[in-house]
Amino acid sequence: MKCSLFVVAGLLVTAAAGGVAAEEPLPIHGFLQAASAYRLLRPDACPRTQRLACEEEFVLGEGRARLEVEPRGERWGLTVKAELIWDAVAGEVDGDLREGYLDLRFPALDLRAGRQIVTWGVGDLVFINDVFPKDWVAFVSGLPLEYLKKGSDAVSATGHWRGTSVQLVLTPRFEADTLPEAGGRLRFHDPMAAIEARRTDDPSPSLDHLESGLRVFRNLAGWDLSLYAYRGFFRAPAAEVEAGPRLRFFFPPLDVWGASAQGAALGGVVSVEAGYHDSRADRSGRNPAVENSSFRFLAGYQREIVPDLTASGQYYVQAMEDHAAYRRTRGPGMARRPALRHVLTLRLTRLLWHQTLRLGVFALASPNEGDWYVGPEARYQITDAWSATVGVNAFGGPRRSEFGQFEGNANLYAAVRYAF
Amino acid sequence: MVAVMTKALPRAMAAGLLALLAVPGLARPAAAPPSADEMIARAHLAMFYPGEDMRARVTMRLVSRAGGERRRELTMTRRDLQDGGEQRYFIYFHRPPDVRDMTFLVWKYPGRDDDRWLYVPAIKLVRRIAASDRRSSFAGSDFSYEDISGREPEEDTHTLVREEKTGARDAYVVESVPKDPGSVDFGRKLSWIDKATWLPLKEEYYDRRGELARVFTAEEVKAVQGFWTVTKRLMKNVQTGHSTEAVLSDVRYNLKLAPDLFSERALRAPPAELTR
Repeated sequence: MKCSLFVVAGLLVTAAAGGVAAEEPLPIHGFLQAASAYRLLRPDACPRTQRLACEEEFVLGEGRARLEVEPRGERWGLTVKAELIWDAVAGEVDGDLREGYLDLRFPALDLRAGRQIVTWGVGDLVFINDVFPKDWVAFVSGLPLEYLKKGSDAVSATGHWRGTSVQLVLTPRFEADTLPEAGGRLRFHDPMAAIEARRTDDPSPSLDHLESGLRVFRNLAGWDLSLYAYRGFFRAPAAEVEAGPRLRFFFPPLDVWGASAQGAALGGVVSVEAGYHDSRADRSGRNPAVENSSFRFLAGYQREIVPDLTASGQYYVQAMEDHAAYRRTRGPGMARRPALRHVLTLRLTRLLWHQTLRLGVFALASPNEGDWYVGPEARYQITDAWSATVGVNAFGGPRRSEFGQFEGNANLYAAVRYAF
Repeated sequence: MVAVMTKALPRAMAAGLLALLAVPGLARPAAAPPSADEMIARAHLAMFYPGEDMRARVTMRLVSRAGGERRRELTMTRRDLQDGGEQRYFIYFHRPPDVRDMTFLVWKYPGRDDDRWLYVPAIKLVRRIAASDRRSSFAGSDFSYEDISGREPEEDTHTLVREEKTGARDAYVVESVPKDPGSVDFGRKLSWIDKATWLPLKEEYYDRRGELARVFTAEEVKAVQGFWTVTKRLMKNVQTGHSTEAVLSDVRYNLKLAPDLFSERALRAPPAELTR
């Protein structure tokens, strides 16, 4: 997602020019933020590919400057959110175009072209139909939660007709999830740690690799109903060993079909979501490198217990297809997942001092796989411009499991932000 | 009829009847003060339902006991589906910076919980908000959701306590006691309702122990397109010393707002006239 400083600067100038074209003076917003995360656990054993991750005391240490310019007219809008990031741990400076898109608005159609964040589904940190790119490194490292979502370079068209809306998202340039990788700052489960030669095949930019997503949604009697369809790729790479030996990472094709509903019921908000992940390149389940197809289901409930204290819980299950074939193809050192993965989550949020202090905790655990994540956080809005956040990211469970592999990244994080 | 009856009745009784007729309310039925229930119902309509729809820029100043000040600036629109009944609210936040560009949608139903949605622009997420408690603070201010969108008159028992002047204006003083004491944070409320405009000029909220807790005052009332509007409102929590002043500017009524404004489409892409 990084791009050169020149591109960022160029876009800011373009946006500013757009602002001059708009009738009113162009307001500039953004923030300055300092964030760091201190590693709480020191690993005893360390694979060679993760030496940095074992030695580095700080998972995160950075300064960030964000500029946002959003000139808008009656029928159009331009949004540019660009960042300059100083990574103090690596001693590097980089630019990132977080969002940069043009909006065109017609009576029954909204068009958006450019780098944009797309969020689908009703899950809280559990994703079924939200197949858009995510930055799990940012999440594990203790950056603010918004950095979990990454932009897609895409064109989105949303049509509205008699209360029903249809959104089509076309993404010509594939963007993978950002995951911990060898040589990085994060610990993770690497079944092929012995093979240091690695390459990644990107499905972009060939046009027959266009990703497409479709969402149909409407409100019916107070319930938000959505249908989803996606044709594209797994965002997390599959890996296979080539001659050399060398590890080749690639992104297998994926189709997703799903639906969600959310509405007020039982004195709170009830959410339900389901989806089928069709792993098109491994429908038999016999390819050990490619994830099998799966059915996923989520049910959630959120309620304000007393004013300014909200609790929510979710149950999520993922059912792997062709589990027998999967079991037969597992190699040594590879994780062995059960046919069903159950997950429970709990979130508590307490607002205090006229909602300027937010105390929250999010916990997720899989009762049958034994991995878990807990993230308590306190955020204080010191003034309208200044805020401070402290929190902990803790992980645990079997070292090959989804969250257990991050145990060695447990961290205490803090961030201070000045927003304008 | 009264004349016919007096003929048939002893003088003493007739005198008694005449004395009754001399009570102003009975003597001039046309000017009879409405019942306390009707007063509150009229105040509810005057305060929360003027026009078919409205739009206003709201600037809130949240002031702590120590004098620390925070500001909230938002554009609020409202559309009534029927007078005194279902309503829709759409709110765009201008500041502070951490909530800028957030939008908030409320479908308010009399007699049951609202539907509420909040849009978080940083991650393009439309989030459903649990709305079981209407006494929750709105955006950290001293105003609750109910103070902003109105409390159903039927939820309380109303009694006319007295009539008196508040400032230069004649007002009815009505006491309202919740029918379900467990559902609210106040034990009773006194409202000073302006006889001319039916707007509440002042409200005192007493907690369940009978102590004064919060005081609302209409600091400025203006006629906008013929609708009397409280353009400056103050809510003071006398127990904590915290207060919130809300100033309404650019108030417009009957804009013929499209139903489309109160939908997910608008949450994600609010119309330009609201975001300026």
